Amino acid sequence: MTLTGCITLAAALLCIGIYGLVTRKQAVAMLLSVELMANSANILFAAFAHFRGGASAQVFVLFALAITVAEVAVGLALVMLIYRRHGDTTLDLASEAKQ
Amino acid sequence: MTPVTLALVATFAPAVAALLLLIVFPLRHKGAPAAWICLLGSVVSLGAALKLLVDRLGGAGDTRVTAPWIMENGRAMAEMGVLIDGVSLPMLVIVGVVALCVQLFSVAYMHDEAPRAFGRYFTLHALFLFSMNVVVISPNLLQLFAGWELVGLTSYLLIGFYFAKPSAAKAAVKAFWMTKLADMGFLFGLLVLYVFTGGFEWTSQPTTLVATWVTALLFVAVIGKSAQFPLHIWLPDAMEGPTPVSALLHAATMVAAGVFLVVRADPLFALAPGTREVMLWIGSVTALFAACLALVQSDIKKVLAYSTASQLGYMVAALGAGNAFAGFFHLGTHAFFKALLFLAAGSVIHAVHSNSLEDMGGLRKKLPLTTVAFGIGALSLAGFPGFAGFFSKDLVLTSLEGKGNWIPWTMLMGSAFLTAFYMGRVLIKAFGGELSEKSAHAHEGGPAMTGPLVILAIPALASGFLGGWIGTQMHHAHELHFLALTPVVASSMSLIGLTAAWFVFRNGGKAPFAGTLERLDAFSLVDKTWAAGYQVGLLGISGIAGWIDRYLVDGLMNFGAWSTLEGGESARRLQTGRVRDYALMVVAGVVVLALIGVLR
Amino acid sequence: MSSQIGFGLVAAIILVSALFVVRSKNLIHAVLWLAVTLIGTAALYAQLNAPFLAGVQVLTYVGGVVTLMVFGVMVTRRHGGAEAPAESDSDEKGFIFATALFVVLALAIWKSPVPLPVQAPIATTNQLAHALLDDYLIAFEALSLLLLAAIVGAVVLARRRDPDPVSGEEAGAAAPTRSTTEVVP
Repeated sequence: MTLTGCITLAAALLCIGIYGLVTRKQAVAMLLSVELMANSANILFAAFAHFRGGASAQVFVLFALAITVAEVAVGLALVMLIYRRHGDTTLDLASEAKQ
Repeated sequence: MTPVTLALVATFAPAVAALLLLIVFPLRHKGAPAAWICLLGSVVSLGAALKLLVDRLGGAGDTRVTAPWIMENGRAMAEMGVLIDGVSLPMLVIVGVVALCVQLFSVAYMHDEAPRAFGRYFTLHALFLFSMNVVVISPNLLQLFAGWELVGLTSYLLIGFYFAKPSAAKAAVKAFWMTKLADMGFLFGLLVLYVFTGGFEWTSQPTTLVATWVTALLFVAVIGKSAQFPLHIWLPDAMEGPTPVSALLHAATMVAAGVFLVVRADPLFALAPGTREVMLWIGSVTALFAACLALVQSDIKKVLAYSTASQLGYMVAALGAGNAFAGFFHLGTHAFFKALLFLAAGSVIHAVHSNSLEDMGGLRKKLPLTTVAFGIGALSLAGFPGFAGFFSKDLVLTSLEGKGNWIPWTMLMGSAFLTAFYMGRVLIKAFGGELSEKSAHAHEGGPAMTGPLVILAIPALASGFLGGWIGTQMHHAHELHFLALTPVVASSMSLIGLTAAWFVFRNGGKAPFAGTLERLDAFSLVDKTWAAGYQVGLLGISGIAGWIDRYLVDGLMNFGAWSTLEGGESARRLQTGRVRDYALMVVAGVVVLALIGVLR
Repeated sequence: MSSQIGFGLVAAIILVSALFVVRSKNLIHAVLWLAVTLIGTAALYAQLNAPFLAGVQVLTYVGGVVTLMVFGVMVTRRHGGAEAPAESDSDEKGFIFATALFVVLALAIWKSPVPLPVQAPIATTNQLAHALLDDYLIAFEALSLLLLAAIVGAVVLARRRDPDPVSGEEAGAAAPTRSTTEVVP
């Protein structure tokens, strides 16, 4: 187990998350992809905490966890809203950003 | 008053009148007050000019006062001012006299016009006199050009006075763009002169090559303004204007401006023998060609119009022969007798209500004074010995002796004969013979009409004797030997021409070949063909220019607009409003940025 | 050596399950695969000497977030409708960009000098608690505020009654329609 390995793993996870974010149409599925990406960041924090020492990095993982949870809560609320509005959670329908 | 003040008064008195009429429009709309204000301006102008003349006779010398104009880097690019010398002073007087006479005549001639049109007419007249005086007193070519353009504009307005009449509007436009086209030559000539000499002086001494270019370009403008072949075709059409306007424009002023320019720029032309050669030939050809055309016209004004072109040809030929004085002298005498002829013709037209020679006849019984006036003018124009035209024309012909293997001399002698012949024709057809139907009720106009005729008849008769004085003012030794070859031949031509006219036309044109002659439209045909070809050529050039403008220049602009639109359209397509696509773009940006960071 | 094998195994689990997360057509399956990924991450934390993190990860993510997600999927599922296709027209584009990004990142990782491991003592939960509540107290409090705001926001958003796009009437009119911002005293 090396630092390089951990970083590469995090990068791979990030790219998978991006792939999901870009290809998925369902809002919930996109949220899942975002979770993957957040997770990859957390892995980086934990890896550096392990190989470079210190408690601070772990604290930041905790913070990131909390923020992710908050994001999921708000995100799901938005998904509910979109569903109520369009009867669907396909985000392509919600293209009001165009107008 | 100093000479400068007098010259400025002479120039700006009509301008003040015009400005007053332009701003205080009730005066203009009333009609009659406009005429009085305009006349007042002209009288003041002429008075100042005459005072200058008196001073001159009292021994006053040349005056040249200039002020810097168009400052650039603390240095004046050009100057403006006043120049009073042996050329501008006689010209100022000639223009003043003719303009005043014409305006006076117009009061009677135009009285049937609506008050507004009447007021507009005199406003334009005042403006025109101002423009012409700017030309006359110019100390350099740039100011002369400014006045020149003003003259062009006001003559356009005067020719198109009856602008509601399509033919008049067309004629005005034609005159305008013909002269304007030629004015490009003036402009380019000025540019060349400025580039090589750093000024607009006609006294500068450029090299022969530069002088040739400058004078050739200036001469292009002269061809347009003075209706020389091949740009003469606007002049007959310009007869659409009121007859007094024709008298003013085609006698002393507008068309004379071209000749005046050459007289002014004579030091430059002296450096360019090539240009003079061209002038000599163009002047001769114009004189002969226009005389032929004058012969076959049935409209009295058109006869006079072509004869003007012909006489301007004489002047240009004289200038081309290097005798500026002869050209200028003929310009002066011509101004008087041609103005007289036009005003007399106006009087006839006013009485008969027709321009056509066929409607006239026997008018000597009804219009004795006009007949005498027209006769004096015609004899003067024909170069009848003793009349003003005789002296100046002889001087022109003398200066041509031996030039170009005597061919221009011969051509001008031929046109001298033709001049006498066609003037005899007009005299006999209009005033001789039996009373025609339309002439039966003709009667002389009031004193406002006959007065100017009388005034102008005097110089038309006698101004030839002033030649000596003008010559000395222009530092030109003027000697006329009446028993030399040219005067004798010229006088004979004049007498033969008049006699021939008498024999051909005396019995109401019953002579065997009179009718044939009148139907000899060959020259007109040539002229019309030329005009048509000219038009086609010009339209072609305009078409090409228009095409370039429409498809190349506009195309470039349109391409810019189109690419912007298309760019916007495609950029709009990027904005799908779909979150995923935005995310894709973000990722793409990140990839690019990361790549830059990695590769650096 | 055993740590190498363990890391490889955990990494494989994480990546494969992550791929299933983004490729599953059934959303419920995707959420469950996410749970697998998160548990794998928790295992990784444990390997990285961060047992507290591993515990929190399992508690909040697997216990909280995944449950929430399942609820989200259930609530927004189309009534009687088939699952909407997860793939889209930007499938290839997404693949290309994701791969490109990975290549670039791998390049960066490969080119960067790897810092030498520091033999630091393992951070105990005790130290963590001190760091959290001493050094980063203000951040901690700010985070609590953020969470509160998020919860309030989520409630507001979820409770808002938008007019029905078809009938124009307010959806769910049977329920008392009162926005949290319009509290009647």
